Amino acid sequence: MNHRRNTCGQAYALSVLTPIRDGQEAPLVRCLNDLPEGTGSPLASVAGTHIARWVVIGDVVYEGAGQRRPDHLSAGRLLFTSNFDGPLEPYLQRLCTGLAEVADRIWGHCSGYPGRADPGAFAAYLRSHQLECSLFFAAYGGRTVEQVEHSLTTRRDVIDFALRAQRMGAAELQSAFREVFAA
Amino acid sequence: MPNIEGRATAITVLTPVKRGGPLLLWLVFWAGRNITQTLEKLEKLSFIHFARWAVIKRFPDENGGERLNHSYLIFESNFNGAWEQYIDAFSEVVRLRMQAIWGTSYGFPGPLPVEPFKAYIRHNEFVANHYYSAYAGATTTEIISAARVEPALEELKARAATMDAASFKVAFGEFLTKVQRDL
Repeated sequence: MNHRRNTCGQAYALSVLTPIRDGQEAPLVRCLNDLPEGTGSPLASVAGTHIARWVVIGDVVYEGAGQRRPDHLSAGRLLFTSNFDGPLEPYLQRLCTGLAEVADRIWGHCSGYPGRADPGAFAAYLRSHQLECSLFFAAYGGRTVEQVEHSLTTRRDVIDFALRAQRMGAAELQSAFREVFAA
Repeated sequence: MPNIEGRATAITVLTPVKRGGPLLLWLVFWAGRNITQTLEKLEKLSFIHFARWAVIKRFPDENGGERLNHSYLIFESNFNGAWEQYIDAFSEVVRLRMQAIWGTSYGFPGPLPVEPFKAYIRHNEFVANHYYSAYAGATTTEIISAARVEPALEELKARAATMDAASFKVAFGEFLTKVQRDL
């Protein structure tokens, strides 16, 4: 695995493809669809996660007569991808602890999953099913989740303050600025 | 909603690669990483947060990986805005690169005209069963803009400490002029 190919700035692209156990595809889809969204998502508890997803791939798609031969997977696959603040190893630990029992609920549908009780085995399982990126693009790969969130808050504060400040005199402006931005 | 979290949209596409395609893709992606301005071009598509491509020669499993009749190309992107507009922009701005990448896949009709290209993407797309973004309300442009506002504000704060009110009002006006495009 060439980890540099999974990296853009400090951002890391994790792609994990695990085989789904026989007969477990529908329960897995239900499990994923039932997860809370937004700030309630279990991924919100995994620090450093910018954007991530789980995708159930039942089988590969056949392109029709132009394709030499059709393909079929012997087992469906669960794709997990995450764009996070690297490096990989601490993130795998954060996944194990942050997802907690949800990790078992999800990957428990997959063959060979060792469970999260042994964090080392959990990390090894994800690493052994990892894909290497051929090309990874991150528009703001130099910025951590914390930095992104902080600068977005600052930008909103500046916009709000600029609107409020339109009719302020010099002394009031300076005083209000010091108050809002702790200058 | 599948594939959508706040203002972020997910796309996941898996396509079978023609014989000889993996070697061509190796060259195209090597060039994308080292020579051509692929990443800069993607940056111009200012609505992409993160994107990745990976070539799958074996689908990971417990037995060294499952080899199908073909290798597969997986593409994932995280962007803000509508799916249709995203594909439109992709086919216009990075047309040659899309041709070079997906031209190695069976069934690819070319990036233009765009309707067959959209049909091809839809045919090979998988829906995200769970999708998470740490800052779902923010667009890529807002995040990059916010990263420029923050240091400008810090600079003003540092200067403001020694200014009288009249000088500060002037400096604040200059600050707003400097960051107005980012607000």
